Amino acid sequence: MSTKFLIGLLFFTAPAFAQADQQWILQQNSLTYHVSHPLHQSEGVSHEARGKGVCHQGQCDFLIAVPVKSFNSGDSNRDLHMVQAVRGAEFPLVTVRTRLPEDSASSATVLADLEIQFAGQTAEYKQVPLQLAKDGDNFRITGTVPATLSDFRIDPPSLLTIPVKNEIPVRVEMTWHAEK
Amino acid sequence: MIRSNAAILILCALFAATFVPLSFAQTNDSTGISALENADQLQQTAQTQTPPSNNSQAPSLEDLGLTPSQTQSDPQLQARLDKRAHMLKMHQRLGLITAIPMIASVATGFGAGGRSTSTSERWAHLALGSATGDLYFTTAYFAIFAPRIPGTQTRGPIRVHKALAWIHGPGMILTPILGAIAFDQKSKGEKVHGIASAHGAVAIVTAGAFGAALLSVSLKF
Repeated sequence: MSTKFLIGLLFFTAPAFAQADQQWILQQNSLTYHVSHPLHQSEGVSHEARGKGVCHQGQCDFLIAVPVKSFNSGDSNRDLHMVQAVRGAEFPLVTVRTRLPEDSASSATVLADLEIQFAGQTAEYKQVPLQLAKDGDNFRITGTVPATLSDFRIDPPSLLTIPVKNEIPVRVEMTWHAEK
Repeated sequence: MIRSNAAILILCALFAATFVPLSFAQTNDSTGISALENADQLQQTAQTQTPPSNNSQAPSLEDLGLTPSQTQSDPQLQARLDKRAHMLKMHQRLGLITAIPMIASVATGFGAGGRSTSTSERWAHLALGSATGDLYFTTAYFAIFAPRIPGTQTRGPIRVHKALAWIHGPGMILTPILGAIAFDQKSKGEKVHGIASAHGAVAIVTAGAFGAALLSVSLKF
């Protein structure tokens, strides 16, 4: 009786012990890409990213996803062209994965290795500096991802036959909420 | 013995009942069925866009509560966007090319309709005007027949660009008609008179609206 009881107990309680130590949920966010052209400087902003972080054994895995078509530059024609150029209908999400040590939450700056999937390609950005600011149970993270079009094999869109610059830095502002 | 087995079963059922809702709690759906459907649909995208993570603890796309419309690939829409982009690129290039004979037409127009009775100037103006008209309507074709993307609200400078078409579009119909009448009058040795005398003014307004339309999508203001 006691053996079976223990096996049963172990079997069903094991997932409970495998549960994450802490979880982080992305609450507010603002992702802004910047595109440069000799005649234009334009920015597209999205506030529709979703994100989750799971901490276990001192390491936190984060996943952030944002729909490509959620970026708004204030010009519907440019937004549609952007979605076309980055094949946003075929690959509708930009996903960012990173792993950070749990104790990095106490630092003011953290260097993150980011794996970004975008336009059907995966690019890695090493040691991207992100600024952290704690506010109660929330963390505010800001930084800039030094993305380029060539990283994702995107043909640079052109205006009046002049292509945009290869650099498309993405400014990140996020507020994460801790959930035990 | 029977009592102990029953106790184990009850215990197991209790634990199962505790953990099953937890596994669905990470989705935003209120029912387990819709959560499963969403998970299946999201998994399709996850297979195409996301390589499986080595870490079983790492969050997945299913955990983020994205709707299937946000995650599903749509090759038909991509094809539509590609066709639209191609046609609008042609529209842009032809628009720029059209500007060249249009400027030349306006420039030669001052000589063609004035005191000069030079036939060659009039014919040159006619040829440039005809080339402008042909290029203009070919340019317009690519904009008018570019596929529309459902659910798109027009925002930004493109609204000005489209509004100006209501000026230069009718202008590009009226200008050659008035020009033909003026050409006929001039060829008969008459002074340009009547409605034909508006040819120059209509042409300048049309060219101005066309230039403004070109600049509205080229320069930031």
